[in-house]
Amino acid sequence: MMAIELVHEKSSQRNLSNAGSLEKKGKREHVRSILFLLPSWILLLLFFFAPILLTILFSFTNMSLTGSAARDMDFVGFKNFVTMFSDPSFRISVLNTMVFLIFSAILGQQVLGFTLASLMRERSRSFRRIIGTVVMAGWVTPEVVVAFVWFAFFSDQGTANVVLESVGLKPVAWLYQFPMVSVVIANIWHGTAFSMLVYQAALDDVPKEVEEAAKIDGATGWQRLWHVTLPIIRGSISTNMVLITLQTLGLFTLIYALTGGGPGTETETLPIFMYNQAFINYQLGYGTAISLVLLVIGMIASLTYIRLLKLKT
Amino acid sequence: MSRKGGLRLNRSTFNRVVPYVILSLIGVMFLMPLLWVLFAAVDPQAQLSLKVPRGVTLDNFQAILTDPATQMSFVNGLFLSVGQSVLVVIVAGLAAYPLSRYQLNYKKPFMYTILFATALPITAVMVPVYQLFILLNFVDSLVMTMLFLTASSLPYAIWIMKNFMDSVPVELEEAAWVDGASVWRGLRSVIIPLMLPGVFTVSIFTFTSSWGNFFVPFILIQSPDKLPASVTIYQFFGQYGLVEYGKLAAFSILYAIPAVIMYIIGQRYMSQGFNFGGATKG
Amino acid sequence: MVMKKAMLVFVSLLLAVLQAACSYEASKPADSSTIKVAYRYSGPNTGTEKWLKKVKQTFEERHPGKKVEIIPIQASEGTFFAKLALMMKSADTAPDVVAEDTFMINADAAAGYIEPLTERVKGWDDWDNFNDRVKKGVTTQDGSIYGVPFSTDTRGIWYNKNIFKKAGLPVPWQPENWNDILTAARTIKEKVPGVTPFWSFTGRATGEATAMQTFEMLLYGTDDPLYDEKRDKWVVKSPGILHALRFIDHIYSNGLGPPLSQVLNGTAGNTLAEQSMPEEKVAMALHGSFLSGSWVEGGPAPWPEGTKVYGFAPMPTERGQDPGKISLSGGWALSISAKSKHKDLAWEFIKLATNKENNKYYVLNEGDLTPRDDVAEDPEYQNAPGRNFQQSTEFLEFTDFRPGNEDYPAVSTKIQIAVESVATGKASPEQAMEQYAQSVEALVGPENVMKKE
Repeated sequence: MMAIELVHEKSSQRNLSNAGSLEKKGKREHVRSILFLLPSWILLLLFFFAPILLTILFSFTNMSLTGSAARDMDFVGFKNFVTMFSDPSFRISVLNTMVFLIFSAILGQQVLGFTLASLMRERSRSFRRIIGTVVMAGWVTPEVVVAFVWFAFFSDQGTANVVLESVGLKPVAWLYQFPMVSVVIANIWHGTAFSMLVYQAALDDVPKEVEEAAKIDGATGWQRLWHVTLPIIRGSISTNMVLITLQTLGLFTLIYALTGGGPGTETETLPIFMYNQAFINYQLGYGTAISLVLLVIGMIASLTYIRLLKLKT
Repeated sequence: MSRKGGLRLNRSTFNRVVPYVILSLIGVMFLMPLLWVLFAAVDPQAQLSLKVPRGVTLDNFQAILTDPATQMSFVNGLFLSVGQSVLVVIVAGLAAYPLSRYQLNYKKPFMYTILFATALPITAVMVPVYQLFILLNFVDSLVMTMLFLTASSLPYAIWIMKNFMDSVPVELEEAAWVDGASVWRGLRSVIIPLMLPGVFTVSIFTFTSSWGNFFVPFILIQSPDKLPASVTIYQFFGQYGLVEYGKLAAFSILYAIPAVIMYIIGQRYMSQGFNFGGATKG
Repeated sequence: MVMKKAMLVFVSLLLAVLQAACSYEASKPADSSTIKVAYRYSGPNTGTEKWLKKVKQTFEERHPGKKVEIIPIQASEGTFFAKLALMMKSADTAPDVVAEDTFMINADAAAGYIEPLTERVKGWDDWDNFNDRVKKGVTTQDGSIYGVPFSTDTRGIWYNKNIFKKAGLPVPWQPENWNDILTAARTIKEKVPGVTPFWSFTGRATGEATAMQTFEMLLYGTDDPLYDEKRDKWVVKSPGILHALRFIDHIYSNGLGPPLSQVLNGTAGNTLAEQSMPEEKVAMALHGSFLSGSWVEGGPAPWPEGTKVYGFAPMPTERGQDPGKISLSGGWALSISAKSKHKDLAWEFIKLATNKENNKYYVLNEGDLTPRDDVAEDPEYQNAPGRNFQQSTEFLEFTDFRPGNEDYPAVSTKIQIAVESVATGKASPEQAMEQYAQSVEALVGPENVMKKE
């Protein structure tokens, strides 16, 4: 206590003595802050904002990975976007992205994450720790490994089919008959821990008294959840929703390593579609136009996120 | 009355047991795929389905670890991830200082730009980034890839570092300078201890996301001897994954270890990152 | 003062990290006296690998002080060409010599990735020994030569004589039309359970093999072409396309094909040649003449009796219409990267690698057909044990080639999607053709496509 007060005094003394040169100090701070921010600016401009500008520029070209357009690219106006909207593969990939987003992130991870977080309250410490660790393991596992793990799980002789056979059902070629279900399950496994942690933190902030009061008033568990708990953690729900939407939108590795976007175009989400067009079908310009679409969706989600944070403060 | 009382008793036992049952079921479902990797890695006759290994062997690990190409890829991966983490901490730390301490008229728009950039998926810009690398002749350069990765994690790192720095009282810091402490002592006794949680959080998040990043090096690095582990393990899967399950599982475990270690170290710092209730300020 | 010092510490730290990073990178130097040779690594012990190593050794003996670095590119067939294009785009990563599939030559030449060799072959006596038909594959529409072929091939149906006998089918077997193939497949399914009646490349992961060896082997036997050479247009809708896709649909919806999990991944070809066929679990495989290359002594799966157990029958046309049987040929060539800094040395390497002795070594170890007439007449080649070089070479009489159009590689990827969608039952043949038509039109422009009812 004493020490801190002492510090206070000293610093105010110093401020007093410096009062005359306040302007000088402001100037110095200005120069210094520019110096301090310079490395960040250089890196961000070169590797963050330049690519965004290039995305806009290149999406109007016919740039290609091979063929004559690889030598001399031309500006082709809105051709890539016209192509995109007449390309059935684009429509399919938008649809796939939405299905994947809704089922794996917005429903799967959120509901499971919340269920875990709320059920784990009031359980014994060691039990919480075991369940928490197991769920976290899915999150810690690098995406490529997540893909292998589920590849094995869903393969013809994999665990999923062994379980099916043990209850007398016919084995299923999961990755080929139910590819979307497979990638959705894999992503739920990988991502749920994030939502669980968010909701654990949120639920810890719900005052015990409020819940107790509702209990005394005779509210059932569901009523308490719906009318008391959820409204209180509304902020966390929407923030979490936006964050996992952004994470899922950018997801590439898991799907690429597990199904490669196939069979056919069954699990081809926008990032996979973008990659395939740019690097497998050699259409860099077209691939960049798809980048731009992804980027715009990301920007909208990102602005929503900022808006949500602003509302709170 | 008695009927009602009985029901309530049943119900409360029921209410107590059900969560345990549900949680255990979820736990088992999360555990099953993971157990396969652990068992298959040490099973001399690894299969694709989950089964308790007949014996225990370390041959799979040995085969992966003694392969010089794999060793190289781990070194490359560590180079990228450690390099990126160190750079991110330094550059973000430098940027966070004036943002936290000085009155700057462009602070607010800058912070909003940073926040906005935090949320953008870098996957989306990989095609143009590749083209940028071609234009600037950066393709296949580990250093440039590392700098790109650094830039991509700067926004969130600056954001977190600034918030941590905000929580360090200015007075405490000024005292250290005024006391005439040497630079090293000032750093050691004030800045570093107080900033340590921030530094840890940022470097752990950076390292793990970098170590697990497959897409960026997959696009930007071409030479086989420069590829990091995240790409070589994928290639191994494509080449042998359907035959050598045991080796794939062993490779997976070895590859996951650095990320797991980082999470264990970082656990106590991580919880701070997940509270969106109050701790966020702009 | 203090802040300045602190700043100095940070900045010097930053520079130290960067410097350390750069010196790490510099420890992987590109030697100026080294030429780099890139090829697709498809597994250990392939003939390609042995051949390149042998040539490297001879080359280094003949050119003291010069080194050859062989760069195996690990990528599935579907991604190899994109990876190669990425490497050739930049001078820092461009290999000096690349092994190119001839279907990429037009596109990569148009892109300016590979060097025209027209002038160089003019002064090269050995060039006359190369087969004129095969030379077409490395010649672009304007007549320039962009590569020296080191292999060619033909395609047909490998059939297991033991399984055919067991099923009561005739041996030797020669199907007259598609229906004969389907009938044989159904008979085998019924009479010899546990084997795959009909195998062919089906996935996007196997890339060009799926487009060429499955779809085009069917389509070229119908009345409709893939590309109308006279009108310079892609035929995106035709009865032929529909029939070809229906054939694939018939195979998979009746359980006559391989398990999808085996055939849809990038290593499907290896599993077939190194496991399923030696175990005699596959009755018919629509594949290339080079298949037996996996079975040679010292190869990935030695099985000298392979070509005795499996016969090689020409693919019939749809209804047996003229010319009755068809085949498709491709092949690989060595090209010089346009960004190479050692073009003369690279050319020396190519000449050495494709000379009579080394080409013979390659074809005997890999199983491809030779592009050289003098090797083709060599008795050691003709009578090579465990091979069917003579028979495969006969297929060259009725063989066809893929369109020499720079858009072909991109169109091929659309074919692969159509085949995979039909085989997995995710689209009907009609739907898949519709999607193919729309996406090719989007790709090459409506002025370059035509439809046939």
